Amino acid sequence: MTFNFPRYILRETGHSMKRNPWLSIASVLTVMVSLIILGFSIFFLANATNVAQSFESQLEIAAFVKDDATADQVQTLQSRIQGMTGVSSVTIVTKEQALANFGKTMGGSQSNLVTDLGGTNPFPDKLTIKATNPQDVENLASAIQALPEIDIVRYGQGYVDKLLQFTKWLRWIGFGVVGAFTVASVVLISINVKMNVFSKRREIQIMKLVGASNGFIRWPFLIEGLTLGLLGGGLAALTVGMGYNWITMYVQSTLTFLPVVRNIVLFRQVLGGLLLAGMAMGAVGSGVSLQKFLHS
Amino acid sequence: MIQLRNVSKIYPNGARALVDVNLKIDKGEFVFLVGPSGAGKSTLIKLFYRDETPTRGQVQINGKNLVRMKEREVPYLRRSIGVIFQDFKLLPNKTVQENVAFALEVIGVSRKEVRTRTSNMLELVGLAGKENAFPTELSGGEQQRVCVARAIINNPALLVADEPTGNLDPETAWGIMDLLFNINKRGTTVVMATHARAIVNKMQKRVIAIENGRVARDEEMGGYGYDV
Repeated sequence: MTFNFPRYILRETGHSMKRNPWLSIASVLTVMVSLIILGFSIFFLANATNVAQSFESQLEIAAFVKDDATADQVQTLQSRIQGMTGVSSVTIVTKEQALANFGKTMGGSQSNLVTDLGGTNPFPDKLTIKATNPQDVENLASAIQALPEIDIVRYGQGYVDKLLQFTKWLRWIGFGVVGAFTVASVVLISINVKMNVFSKRREIQIMKLVGASNGFIRWPFLIEGLTLGLLGGGLAALTVGMGYNWITMYVQSTLTFLPVVRNIVLFRQVLGGLLLAGMAMGAVGSGVSLQKFLHS
Repeated sequence: MIQLRNVSKIYPNGARALVDVNLKIDKGEFVFLVGPSGAGKSTLIKLFYRDETPTRGQVQINGKNLVRMKEREVPYLRRSIGVIFQDFKLLPNKTVQENVAFALEVIGVSRKEVRTRTSNMLELVGLAGKENAFPTELSGGEQQRVCVARAIINNPALLVADEPTGNLDPETAWGIMDLLFNINKRGTTVVMATHARAIVNKMQKRVIAIENGRVARDEEMGGYGYDV
């Protein structure tokens, strides 16, 4: 039987973690806490973006067609507006549909309604236009207003600007939070890894004096860093996963108007990302800090 | 085996530990390094296993130039040299058995062989029964014997000892000396820095005295000197 290096590495890693239990627990906790905060901040960003999007998607332009326009002219108008740059969709709401909708909200029947309203349908034909980019709503509205067949354009003048300001800030805050917590967790974890390796510098020195090559010293440390990082990342993924699931269920049942992101793909990506991040930071961090002691 | 040419060592703080030392030790010799504390014995010894490199001059061990040696060759040099450190340098998180085994593991000895060789070695240095103790649970003398065991377990070509009997009662000290003597008889070159007058005088080996960083005396079959 020859010397089994992988087995040696595993044994060393196990011993080292078992014999420094507090150091190991501290490392796992550091990684876990940092990544939990990071994980929640990513979901915060996802939700902020989602809320912004759902607000913006409600922005639309209502263009009322002049009363004397024929059905054909309305059709042509639709395709003309559709052809304008920045328009994502144009739907026609004919005066009959408008009346029907009105009737539905009133709860009465349509035939009575016309007579009740004096024998004429007071609703004009309407085009509902959605912009690809919400920033364009204002420009599009004035361009549509300029069309001769159009009577009046409504798009929430005045509050569109404010809404767009709000969604812009919401997005920036989301990104800011993720950015800040990414930096914070990298700093926290790397400080922890450095302390971890620093506490072993004497051991490393002795190993070198006894004739251990750098690789022989490095591997058990790397695997230890990787394992501790993986544990921390795994616990963080578990906490974030269960916590987020619980929070969104609660929000959905109590604050029903708030749109929450429950996207299984995103869910898996974030949790997998946390696991990988813990592992990578543990291993790479140990490797980098170790390098300094190995070559001193 | 060991050859030093015009070796000087000046530490960054300006301390001149060694001044123009010339020295030749042949294969199979047993050499005592004597001299007052701070004379340069430890620095000289550290040059042998390249814990220090000289400021000037050349160091050759086993035909290899240690000054020009590349970083990655150093582990191989150290595996051919057993070192008994003055402060033992035991791995605090490893048991006695594991500390001794480490010297074999770095050279890739199989697990089974590691086990038999370490238990034989621990028997030899009188540490049978202490295999699973951690260094902090041992007395100074016991720690020193662990260090000795680790230094000699892979039959090094050169054994360097910095006061290997410093913490031992006379009886145990002689036990360690017997070990070193036997290893020397099997062909290992031994260089031992010591303050143990009785041992030096009794063994009648080559004695090199270092004073103020210089070789002050070098005699075959010498005595400790510095008699009061």
